[in-house]
Amino acid sequence: MITCEEFFAEFADYMENQVSPEIRKELNLHLSQCRACRVLYDTSLKTVKIVTESGSFELPHSVSDPIIDCVMAKLRKDRS
Amino acid sequence: MSFLSEVRLKDKFGPFVEFQAGLGFVPNLVLAQSLLPRLIEAQAMLESAVRLREGAIPRVQKERILLIVAAERQDTYCVALDSKILSSLGLLEVQIDSLLADYRNVDLSGSELACLQFCLKLSHHAPSVCSEDIDALRACGFGDESIFEAVVVTALAVYRCTLSLGLGPEPDFGARKLPSTRIVQQHGPASHGLLSGSHEAGQRNGPYVRAPYLSPKTFSPFAIVQKSHGFIPNFFRAQSLRPDLLEAELEAVGRILLPEEALTRVQKESILLAVSAANLNSYCVAMHCNLLRGLGKPSEEGDQIAVDYHEANLSVADEALLDFAVKLGTRGPEFSGRDVVKLQALGFTEEQILECVVVTALNNFANTLQMGLGIEPDFAPPPAFEENKVHLADAVATPIGREGGVYRGDVIQDLDAGLVAQAQDGKLEAFEELVRRHTQLIYRTLMAMLGKPPDAQDALQDTLLNAFKHIGGFQGRSKFSTWLVSIARNTALQRLRARKDVESLDEPERGEEGDFRPRQVRSWADNPEQLHSKSEIQQLVEAGILGLPAKYRVVVVLRDIEQLSTDEVARELGLGVPAVKTRLLRGRLMLREWLSPHFTASTKGAVK
Ligand SMILES: [Zn+2]
Repeated sequence: MITCEEFFAEFADYMENQVSPEIRKELNLHLSQCRACRVLYDTSLKTVKIVTESGSFELPHSVSDPIIDCVMAKLRKDRS
Repeated sequence: MSFLSEVRLKDKFGPFVEFQAGLGFVPNLVLAQSLLPRLIEAQAMLESAVRLREGAIPRVQKERILLIVAAERQDTYCVALDSKILSSLGLLEVQIDSLLADYRNVDLSGSELACLQFCLKLSHHAPSVCSEDIDALRACGFGDESIFEAVVVTALAVYRCTLSLGLGPEPDFGARKLPSTRIVQQHGPASHGLLSGSHEAGQRNGPYVRAPYLSPKTFSPFAIVQKSHGFIPNFFRAQSLRPDLLEAELEAVGRILLPEEALTRVQKESILLAVSAANLNSYCVAMHCNLLRGLGKPSEEGDQIAVDYHEANLSVADEALLDFAVKLGTRGPEFSGRDVVKLQALGFTEEQILECVVVTALNNFANTLQMGLGIEPDFAPPPAFEENKVHLADAVATPIGREGGVYRGDVIQDLDAGLVAQAQDGKLEAFEELVRRHTQLIYRTLMAMLGKPPDAQDALQDTLLNAFKHIGGFQGRSKFSTWLVSIARNTALQRLRARKDVESLDEPERGEEGDFRPRQVRSWADNPEQLHSKSEIQQLVEAGILGLPAKYRVVVVLRDIEQLSTDEVARELGLGVPAVKTRLLRGRLMLREWLSPHFTASTKGAVK
């Protein structure tokens, strides 16, 4: 079986589902037998899911609308 | 004599000894590279690993492949040389003559005939090779090892023929008669049973042979590749059936591509990119676009070389260099010694011309190998290249719509196009509508780079004004949203420069992977997002992201919040894909550490 270090070397691609079937097999085998890597994998997936669904850095319309209005007003003024 | 000067090297020069031992003499093709002995070393490594080493296919059969491919290319130099080698292996002159006249009339086993037919297709119509061809070989009893070898031997044949065409060596032996009509031309790609090329779009194509996992820990060449590239390309992984060959190949590649004594690395990568594009090889195009970006070239320049290098921003000399390489690599019959003279007239040295020939040969070796093994892409090629390719290659079975969304022909189709045209005509309403569509995207990009809401809001205003100012220059080569993001990025960069904070974005990766090895090993709850309210989670995530070093923050925001693909992020930021992958992983792991205390399972050790 591959070592934890070898698992970690492939980890980024594994997370992105970009490994060949052969490597996937090796990594799955490692996961089934290594608790530490299993926790790492599981919590990393959860991290990505939480970050993606967090709605972070959304600019509320109450903030963005005045900015856009201000820009448009400036452009219209330059025009005339 | 060949097109270029030669210098005398010692008889004891290692590769000479190898050629003496393997073939009984040193071919003129080898001597023609004596200006740069490292190139001879590279060829010797390839020849001894592919041709001379005992493998799954018998030596005589390999020699027949080399001969037939050379004959089909009308390469009189290689035909004379390979005929001599076959006769030294015990073939009668009359047998060689009939092989050259038409191999299909020679008394060969059915499986060897099928193999030769496959090798010819691969060397002449590589983009149309597909899984059915491999199935046909398997039906004749070929296993993975033999299929692999047939592909590599064909690649070597192509390498040698490209060298002999580009270097014009004196024949070592008397010329052989070649029939004037060639088999592949005569019958066309579709009339052979095996040569029927097309396959349904969307069908999974490769990889064709198995590739057992090879660890960088035990196979040191991989550790070196990992260090230099930041990752191990599928191109090398796919050849793990023969670690010995892989090792020789990596050594050869290193000798040809890394030194900068003649051509620069950028020139060599540009050659590889332009010739791969002319060969319609998406895999290699994507790879070399990325490597060029890694060498500091903006993505647009690499993309432009892939689509049409004549339109790229190259010097007259560099454009001529690519003309030379593309002609040599893809339009052999048109190439002649005059092309060499033309480069000399532009000031290229003999060493540079020699290196250009060898880089082109290496490119064709790699293109052949990739197509023959059906190696899966590491990166997406530039969308414009894929679009163009469809027009270029009507007659060719192009792999469109592969899994993973890598080949997306429709990617340039832009829903904004109509409004953009109106805005370019000065219609402010159209511009306003465009702006409202993309405010969130722009803002997130600005937040990712600047890290402070008031800064990002100021920069949003500047970005919109800059966008309007420059919208006339937008040419539709990318999506409008991509263009807006690039304006946002430049606006943010200006602010960072004013803050003298720009180094933090460009800082190269250093430190061992070990520094980033995760510390938290406690498992999380099954549905961690249910442990807190939505707004609590948002605050937590935002604080975590804002706490990341800028270079990780940008990548995480674009990939995980904006949900661009890794390739898009690389393109947006002008980074290589490997650098993006590294930064993304590190950023995600840091966030994981940050979030961990808030999401761990209440009962200890409960891992699914
Ligand atoms: Zn482990």
